[in-house]
Amino acid sequence: MAKEITGYVKLQVKGGQANPSPPIGPALGSKGLNIMEFCKQFNGRTQDKMGMVLPVVITYYKDKSFDFVIKTPPAAILLMEASKVKKGSAQPNRTKVGSVSWDQVRQIAETKMPDLNCFTVDSAMKMIAGTARSMGITVAGKAPWEENN
Amino acid sequence: MNYVEVSLETTPDYVDILTAELAEIGYESFVENEDGLLAYVPEADFDESTLQAILAKYQIFTAIACSWQTLEKRNWNEEWEQSYEPIEVGDQIRVRASFHEPDARFRHDLLITPKMSFGTGHHETTWLVMNEQLTLPHSGIDVMDVGCGTGILAILARKLGAQSLLAFDIDEWAVENTRENFALNELHEQAEVFEGTIEEVPAHRQFGGILANINRNILLRDIPLYVQHLRAGGWLVVSGFYEADQSAIVQCAEQNGLLQKRSSTRHQWATVVFEKR
Repeated sequence: MAKEITGYVKLQVKGGQANPSPPIGPALGSKGLNIMEFCKQFNGRTQDKMGMVLPVVITYYKDKSFDFVIKTPPAAILLMEASKVKKGSAQPNRTKVGSVSWDQVRQIAETKMPDLNCFTVDSAMKMIAGTARSMGITVAGKAPWEENN
Repeated sequence: MNYVEVSLETTPDYVDILTAELAEIGYESFVENEDGLLAYVPEADFDESTLQAILAKYQIFTAIACSWQTLEKRNWNEEWEQSYEPIEVGDQIRVRASFHEPDARFRHDLLITPKMSFGTGHHETTWLVMNEQLTLPHSGIDVMDVGCGTGILAILARKLGAQSLLAFDIDEWAVENTRENFALNELHEQAEVFEGTIEEVPAHRQFGGILANINRNILLRDIPLYVQHLRAGGWLVVSGFYEADQSAIVQCAEQNGLLQKRSSTRHQWATVVFEKR
């Protein structure tokens, strides 16, 4: 028989760096879950993504057990990686601090597709490109859907 | 360690961006809520001017209301710890809390009050290492426990006959907790505990056995250092990684002069025992 779900906890934690401090500690501890068990599992599963912010959805059950799903990193994090800038522009509207190609935008869109409310890669790309602009990151060249114009 | 919780009320479009920006300046974890974002950083790393500079960049485009509070250090795992079930490893080891009655059927009775530290035997890796310890020679040797957590592995080492213990961890809770658990299990004179890493162990210290239940990346980095502190013929038990990472660990150990003696797994977690040639 399937275990009875009591609820969900959604957090964003850096890969390989979960620890029992807030917000993990209070979020799980208040529900009587074993925080140290979660940290060990999360860190074990994210050794390849050390330091990258990863959304995680924890499902906890009536018997105080839990499991969790690790989602794709936020688009802004992936854009920073792709553009090789360590932080966004000081003046995102005026000063562009990095650039990404449309191919990179497509790669990020494809990575993010499972977690986005988009039906097509093109619509996901538009969303990612919008985030890039808000951060002061230039998307170089013409968008694929503009190339025939 | 105290933490600062920064609350940012803003529009959904900017939540990801602020997460990325704050992650770059040391914020460790985040919670999205209906109003925006909660971001968490160790109090020692909190810098108001850096935070305000980041917010100022985006306040041109959207409203961002910011406030913060300090969250005092406390044991968030207390509720689970107050009712944890005893753990048995084979028919020889039983790990229990002070509120459990002892069970005379078990030769090794370990008393563990965890206090937000890792190592009660509930996790597969702790269980696997303890199970391996049962068949390794401990009598009369010096044992080092790397990333000791509650100190559970060192305590078992002493109960199996180790002559002395050196245990350390980077986490202040773990160091304090190891000391408490050593006292609970009446280990005093032969046990040293400090807050730090393998790099702080004096170069001349040699051990007949080393226990390291940490994670893949730390093990790959530090196995060469463990080898420097391991006597010829001594054993090293490593765990804290999944089966998929075992080959990388074995390769690293063999390149550093260790010989794989055996390995075991439990629910995809792995443990490997090595010997120094």
